[in-house]
Amino acid sequence: MSATGIGAAVRRKEDQRFITGKGHYTDDVSRPGQTFAYFVRSPHAHAKLHSIDVKAAAAMPGILAVLTGQDLAGDKIGNLICGWMIHSKDGSPMKMAPHPALAATKVCYVGDPVAVVIAETLAQAKDAAEKIAVDYEVLSAVTDPAKAKSAAQIHDVAPKNTIYEWHLGDSKATDAALAAAKHITRIDLTNNRLVPNAMEPRAALAEYDSGTDSLTLWNTSQNPHVARLVISAFVGMAPEHKLRVIAPDVGGGFGSKIFIYPEEVVCLWAARRVGRPVKWTSDRSEAFLADAHGRDHVTHAEMAFDGDGKITALKVKTIANLGGYMSTFSSSVPTYLYATLLSGQYAIPNIYCEVDAVYTNTVPVDAYRGAGRPEATFVVERLVEVGARELGLDPAELRKRNFIKSFPHQTPVIMAYDAGDYLASLKKAMELADVKGFGRRKRDAARHGKLRGLGYSTYIEACGIAPSQAVGSLGAGVGLWESAEVRVNPTGSVEVLTGCHQHGQGHETTFAQLVSERLGISIDQVSIVHGDTDKVQFGMGTYGSRSGAVGMSAIVKALDKVEAKAKKIAAHVMEAAEGDIEFRDGKFTVAGTDKSMAFGEVALAAYVGHKFPTQEIEPGLKEGAFYDPTNFTFPAGCHICEIEIDQETGETEVVSWTAVDDFGTLINPMIVEGQVHGGIAQGVGQAMIEQTVYDKDGQLLSGSYMDYAMPRAHNFPAFKVDTTETKCPSNPLGIKGCGEAGAIAAPAAVMNAITDALGTEKIEMPATSMAVWRALQTMNRNQVAAE
Amino acid sequence: MAMTMTGEVQLPASRDTVWAKLNDPATLKACIPGCEDLNMLSDHEFEAVAVNKIGPVKAKFKGRVTLSDLDPPNGYKISGQGDGGVAGFAKGGAVVSLTDKDGGTLLTYNVEAQIGGKLAQLGQRLINGAAKKMADQFFENFAAAVKG
Amino acid sequence: MLPVSMTVNGKAVTATVDPRTLLVQYLRDNLRLTGTHVGCDTSQCGACVVHVDGAARKSCTMFAWQAEGAKVTTIEGVANGEKLHPMQEAFREHHGLQCGYCTPGMIMSAIDMVNRKGNDLDDNTIRHELEGNLCRCTGYHNIVKAISAGARAMKG
Repeated sequence: MSATGIGAAVRRKEDQRFITGKGHYTDDVSRPGQTFAYFVRSPHAHAKLHSIDVKAAAAMPGILAVLTGQDLAGDKIGNLICGWMIHSKDGSPMKMAPHPALAATKVCYVGDPVAVVIAETLAQAKDAAEKIAVDYEVLSAVTDPAKAKSAAQIHDVAPKNTIYEWHLGDSKATDAALAAAKHITRIDLTNNRLVPNAMEPRAALAEYDSGTDSLTLWNTSQNPHVARLVISAFVGMAPEHKLRVIAPDVGGGFGSKIFIYPEEVVCLWAARRVGRPVKWTSDRSEAFLADAHGRDHVTHAEMAFDGDGKITALKVKTIANLGGYMSTFSSSVPTYLYATLLSGQYAIPNIYCEVDAVYTNTVPVDAYRGAGRPEATFVVERLVEVGARELGLDPAELRKRNFIKSFPHQTPVIMAYDAGDYLASLKKAMELADVKGFGRRKRDAARHGKLRGLGYSTYIEACGIAPSQAVGSLGAGVGLWESAEVRVNPTGSVEVLTGCHQHGQGHETTFAQLVSERLGISIDQVSIVHGDTDKVQFGMGTYGSRSGAVGMSAIVKALDKVEAKAKKIAAHVMEAAEGDIEFRDGKFTVAGTDKSMAFGEVALAAYVGHKFPTQEIEPGLKEGAFYDPTNFTFPAGCHICEIEIDQETGETEVVSWTAVDDFGTLINPMIVEGQVHGGIAQGVGQAMIEQTVYDKDGQLLSGSYMDYAMPRAHNFPAFKVDTTETKCPSNPLGIKGCGEAGAIAAPAAVMNAITDALGTEKIEMPATSMAVWRALQTMNRNQVAAE
Repeated sequence: MAMTMTGEVQLPASRDTVWAKLNDPATLKACIPGCEDLNMLSDHEFEAVAVNKIGPVKAKFKGRVTLSDLDPPNGYKISGQGDGGVAGFAKGGAVVSLTDKDGGTLLTYNVEAQIGGKLAQLGQRLINGAAKKMADQFFENFAAAVKG
Repeated sequence: MLPVSMTVNGKAVTATVDPRTLLVQYLRDNLRLTGTHVGCDTSQCGACVVHVDGAARKSCTMFAWQAEGAKVTTIEGVANGEKLHPMQEAFREHHGLQCGYCTPGMIMSAIDMVNRKGNDLDDNTIRHELEGNLCRCTGYHNIVKAISAGARAMKG
């Protein structure tokens, strides 16, 4: 291992600009003559849109345009789309309703944009927006997914507000196994709706160049090429080669910046109409209404056990809330990213899952860190824990009995796990967490009036998204390969162009570490170029913990080609046979001699072209590659949470957290740990404090940081984080991916710990101190009543 | 976001006087907090503009107010919907009833109101307090008006 | 319009601004000091923290004119030329940032914390002192480590 190669905890290259205030986020970009967009949004959750009077607004000072959905339709700007086709049980396609960037005939949630004001200054735009009169006819609204089917129909295409009724697995075999079970554990769960809340609010800046009839969009995107593709091919804004999308530094994404949103479409359209650059920057309260939310499932699940505590079947019924419209990848989240993970780490012979996706009058719901996999883990890990309690078994013991122990393992729900050692991560986590000493800690806590609980989560996820043919057969509208281009400069420095996008992951460091390892050069000699469709040919972006497993594999392929060509050139220059050239530690050596050339010398030779036949070998040293994975990757591990509850107040505190994860090869353990920390915080946030509250009329009541509880530093203890390692066999580096693990594992660990402490399963996420206090009161009352 | 509020206020005037003032646009205009404009459209319907602040959200509400269930001089229902533009909306009604008490009139009110949009998103925790304050202010003004 | 003048990162600046211009808008839009960020509109996230006359202030919660005559320091002004401030160095060394968006506010709050609380900060104090700064990426673990180390480094 070189000092900056694979496995080194190299300090991040990108940090210099961030710690000095020199980051370059979308809102930091300003263009000459730029104007400002302000969106007028519906205050009603469900209403017909009769008319919009913009005359008074248009006459205000500084106003360049006031545009509505009618104008959008007039200019033939297409609708936003959901790019993953799901078919119902009966074979019918999902019911995708039209989603115009500005509502034209009806509004479907509070925050649905109905008009935009373009002005010289933001203040002028806001002032003019006050003068817009919208005539709404208010309709009855629904926010609860469990009530959606009987509520007022939101979209003409979707009777009973049902988008699809999908299923996976063998219903008959599962029912038979349930009928034959020795014990069945049943559970009802709500997976609470979350607001992603990346700290940088979304922003878009669009500029039109009439000379070339082309558009440029600076955008807070996790996948600028996909944005360009959708805005071009489906929205019809401009041909792909006339649209450049730049996603500069992006301040966190967590999924919410994958999607193609109305605002960037409107900014592009408006920029062309007014002939000036148009900038929109969301403020936080707007972000609560304008960014796709996450989760929001209601689930009933049953797990069957035989007499030995072996799981024989799992049956799950979920209603998934997709909100007012179908967001870009929304359909895939509660289906192929969810039900396919219901086997967890366990050998379960029979699984059947039904998912009904519904429209409601709420903000659209789409992927949020983990996307489907946290929901699946929550179902499986809560069932296993409750099952153990009901069977009178130690929860770790029950898990051990059911762990998959040989690989590859085909689950009944599509996935073929390729490698793992679940016992190893459980054992290591139990040691690190000192599970043996828990009884003593619990007794100590009791002496101080505290209830102490311990909860496990032995999770699995499918990452490295994803083999193109496989996802294509499941309905994906795109392939999920990744591209890379390695450009070696004549002086030996290297630029790597990647289709991945970093928004906190540290690719500028980890990708450079790979190049450093392979080419034997310092990471300072390497630049990672990403986030600009004019620079990088194409790419699928960053989400689903895919950039290491898929993106870096593409770089490996390109580096293989670079090395092969460099060897040919070195052979000519050193007048040796190509087969005799060895490349190690940055040096090309003729085997068995002391003749060698440094990497930089070969790079120069490649560009000078003096010493090899350029008819046979082209000058230059630059190679590109597309890598399509052959399987998903399967990161897995064990998280153990210990909590303490104050019996008097219900105040609940996470007092210890242990995570042992198997991510395969680690490129930079420091960065991996950081990813785990962040994921845990989001998972604990979901389990304990974060709650998106709608009233029955569809008003969002938790619409700012005054009411939506964001995790703060004092909500957490220091985390104990470690790893085990089984290499991923399907990609050249053995990487599995680490970005989502914490968010996937954490909610179940927290709830298992809280219910362990309380001695009741009757508490839902978020288990706030108030909710815990209520659960304690209910238990006390029941106890008194029983006496 | 719905809210309800009830209250009563003792007014130093006869039931007939109070009833007359309750139906007098000029009195209502003077008493409604933040009221900038109030125009009669018919005997029992008027258009009003009021500027109000709830928590961090300040808005100019424009809307129609209707009087119904008129039972002179015992009471009526006053209801309306105000459009606050980008701040959202407020709508609701109050059942007002008058009874003789201690040589004056006891006015009791029963309010049901709903807010939406930014008002609900940012102002919901403050709405009850704000509504109470507005009601108090209205009746303080109204008590002065019936006295004078 | 209102004339304002102050010292920002050691340089005297003057401008005429709309009275409702927030200090953060003045810094970002007028002075192009875009290191100070806006992460919310309710004064909760702390991405906009700067120092006004030596004390941490949320620059989204004061008007530019309220800083009249003040000495303002932003993230761009804490390094000594090429030499980073020890707190900046500590954030890099301990991986106290990921997307970088909350980082300027975190660093400004951290320096202020040391100024107020001294160089030996225990984790519990740091976690509670960070009440006004939100981070969605790091889970705070490495931010706490960075501030603890940065505080010690500021001593010498």
